[in-house]
Amino acid sequence: MKKNMNRSSAPEPTKKISFDIPQIKVLNLNNGLEVYYVKKEKLPIVQSVIISSTGSIGDPDDKKGLAFLTSLLIDEGAGGYDALQLNNELEKLGTITSISANHDTFSFSILSLKENFERSFELLSKIILEPRFEEKDFAREKKKMLDKILQLKDEPSFIASSAFEKRLFKDAPYGSPEIGFEKTASRINNDDVKNFYRKNFRGSNFKSIVVGNITEEEIVRFFNKYLNTLKSKYGENDPIILPVQEKTKIYFVDKKDSAQSEIRIGHITKKRDAEDFYAARIMNTILGGQFSSRINLNLREKRGLTYGAGSSINYFKNAGYFEVSTAVNINNTGEAVSEIVNELNLIREKISDEEIEFAKSYLIKQFPSKFETYTQIAKNISPLIVHRLPIDYYYSYEKSIELVTTDEIGKAALEYIKPDETTIVVVGDKSEIISQLRNLRSYEPIELDIYGNII
Amino acid sequence: MNDDLLKINYQKYTLANGLEVILYPDKSLPTVSINIWYRVGSANESPGKTGFAHLFEHMMFQGSQNIPKEGHFKFIQEAGGTLNGSTSIDRTNYYESVPANYLELLLWLESDRMGYLLPALTQDKLDNQKDVVMNERRQRYENQPYGLAWELLFSNLFSSDHPYSWPTIGWMDDIAKFELDDVRNFFKTYYSPNNASLVLGGNFEIETAKSLIDKYFGGIPRADLIPTVSVPPQSLTDNKKVIHEDNVQLPRIYLAWNSDKAFDRYDAALDILSDILSGTKNSRLQKNLLFDNQIAQDVSSFQYSARLSGSFIIISTAKPGIEIDKIKTEIIKEIENLIKNDVTDEELIRAKNSIKSSYIYSLQKLDTIVDHLNHYNFFLNEPDAFLFDISRYEKVTKDNVITAAEKFLKKPFTELNIVPKSK
Repeated sequence: MKKNMNRSSAPEPTKKISFDIPQIKVLNLNNGLEVYYVKKEKLPIVQSVIISSTGSIGDPDDKKGLAFLTSLLIDEGAGGYDALQLNNELEKLGTITSISANHDTFSFSILSLKENFERSFELLSKIILEPRFEEKDFAREKKKMLDKILQLKDEPSFIASSAFEKRLFKDAPYGSPEIGFEKTASRINNDDVKNFYRKNFRGSNFKSIVVGNITEEEIVRFFNKYLNTLKSKYGENDPIILPVQEKTKIYFVDKKDSAQSEIRIGHITKKRDAEDFYAARIMNTILGGQFSSRINLNLREKRGLTYGAGSSINYFKNAGYFEVSTAVNINNTGEAVSEIVNELNLIREKISDEEIEFAKSYLIKQFPSKFETYTQIAKNISPLIVHRLPIDYYYSYEKSIELVTTDEIGKAALEYIKPDETTIVVVGDKSEIISQLRNLRSYEPIELDIYGNII
Repeated sequence: MNDDLLKINYQKYTLANGLEVILYPDKSLPTVSINIWYRVGSANESPGKTGFAHLFEHMMFQGSQNIPKEGHFKFIQEAGGTLNGSTSIDRTNYYESVPANYLELLLWLESDRMGYLLPALTQDKLDNQKDVVMNERRQRYENQPYGLAWELLFSNLFSSDHPYSWPTIGWMDDIAKFELDDVRNFFKTYYSPNNASLVLGGNFEIETAKSLIDKYFGGIPRADLIPTVSVPPQSLTDNKKVIHEDNVQLPRIYLAWNSDKAFDRYDAALDILSDILSGTKNSRLQKNLLFDNQIAQDVSSFQYSARLSGSFIIISTAKPGIEIDKIKTEIIKEIENLIKNDVTDEELIRAKNSIKSSYIYSLQKLDTIVDHLNHYNFFLNEPDAFLFDISRYEKVTKDNVITAAEKFLKKPFTELNIVPKSK
């Protein structure tokens, strides 16, 4: 009987199990700090993040990499502990600490067992409030950063992304990598770091996220006990002036002996607060936002040009940009670029109801799984902070996706995808790619150095 | 620590056709996760035919009798699920997570390709996935700085007939040569219910799950005797040194020793040894190379243990202008020093705490738990071995760590240097 069972069509789903998105509560502390709190008791784990709104966009032009270097140095000794002692205290607890600077934010995060949370948090507070910034630690971490910059010269995907962002954002702060350049990073001295710290960690805009097996009362107590002197106040960064997106141009970076070429194609687009955010999200899901998207199915499953290809709409606090990204066999560079551009044109012409249904279903039904781990939940909260979204944002998410109309999605394709205004950057062996790129257009491709400057 | 936390409630049984089933109900989330291990990996390949287990994994996503090409991804994604597969030296796994009401969809998809892959096989699909895999090899290995290190290291640590001597992704020439008959034979030989174990975790009723699993998998016939690989433990008789020029700025040294296989006597002690050597800023090698002498940009080490054998590996990247040999001398010195002068209580506690915490962190994700259950079932024939596994580490003494270092790291090793291309 089993052998004759009908396998020819997919089984229907049973009744959906309802799921409540974790409740986010905002706790307002005496020092002006807001804590976004989610209680999750399943495991004895607490994840805590402290975010400041002072990322590398504030780096002086001639000292790019300053926020990044500060993030390397800030936990190398604090309060009564030198660098090794401080880290030893955290390592003994099995607590995972990470400190990072990106363009818009500077953040501290700890993942610890519940039983070790208070001690971990106390140590974190020392890192934030009493960093030592000793000269010998500064020298070591600066050298480490400079050597990392050196190593990045061999990473084709890093070169492609940073050259692409440079062509898009030019001299605006988003146009430089957070780690800076050899020339700018080498100019940074320890006083710069101390000044950066004084300017940004005394009374700037801090917010915190706590997710885990911990009570509201405990959070308030720990913050008051250890971080009371951290004064948080609302502050705005200087406005950022974005360059005007140029007409379509093909750039390349010569990378000798490369087995593949790294391709980035895209342009500046609307910011995160645009009204058609959801329509754009659905449109990009269809175009290149997941495995079964047009771009991946064409380049990978139909043509076998790549291990994977996709597109995304990325949001900084003060800018948005659209980007297609892939790495392809070097001989297929021209074909890949032309297929991608073709897909950009096609999405503007027609999107089928079936595709829209698929994309909506994908976005809505995967939603609960985005709230599984403590770290995922904290990660979901941080855009609420960076983009100043309402606290109930996630409760209306499913509805917002559902309500987008076919017309709005079609319109988003016209508004967000601009084949005539794309920046195309290819990183690969010049001798292999130059003629392929030349054939795509009637003009000569423009050569860039590895930082994205026109040679 | 709370032992209950790590006690996993599960049921294990075997279908008449040999498929092992492990059920782990957990209703804290509205999702279910399936995880299937096939007991076949790149170790089952032979020289000249390397990379096939992995290429075959790709073919499993190309549709089967009732599922069109691209269908597997589409069905799962439309249901809001995630999916993938991976191939290692010892096994191949496939996994999906979906909202719990799509449980039957998972079973339909996984059973269709376990039982009925071949009718949907075409030359076009194979040619396409060969291209994809060759691009995967280029992207992940050939076009990455230091990307060829692993295959250079293992092909020199093991003799050329040892099944761990070739890379899982395979040699490029071999990938290019595979034919449809290879796919058919491989499927018939290894992809059968009696060579697989299925773990289902998440929000479901046990009885419903049992009857659905029987409905979809019960009718798939078992395969004839499945060939297994066994080779005696191998050890190098002399030190070996390989130098490879690559597009890199900084030279990097790799040292590899033959060591205990997974769950063998010193496996856990070697994990702890690796933490003491390089796991934290205060570890011996980080302190020496990165902090005190500042001659290296990074250092890491690990015990890489598998079914047939294990390797202990130390990796470090030299700072500009620093000779690799200088780093090597310091590494050897630190190993000698540890053997001669003991391990401290603090080092041992730090290592054990970090291992324990990471176990608890890993319980956050259902995907990870169901894969772990299969992992333990594969190696120990007992899915719920979380507590046993942690107790292996808790029992490790300072003497065990020193003995392990002495037993394995004083033996001959393979050294690989990846250095900048000469101008």
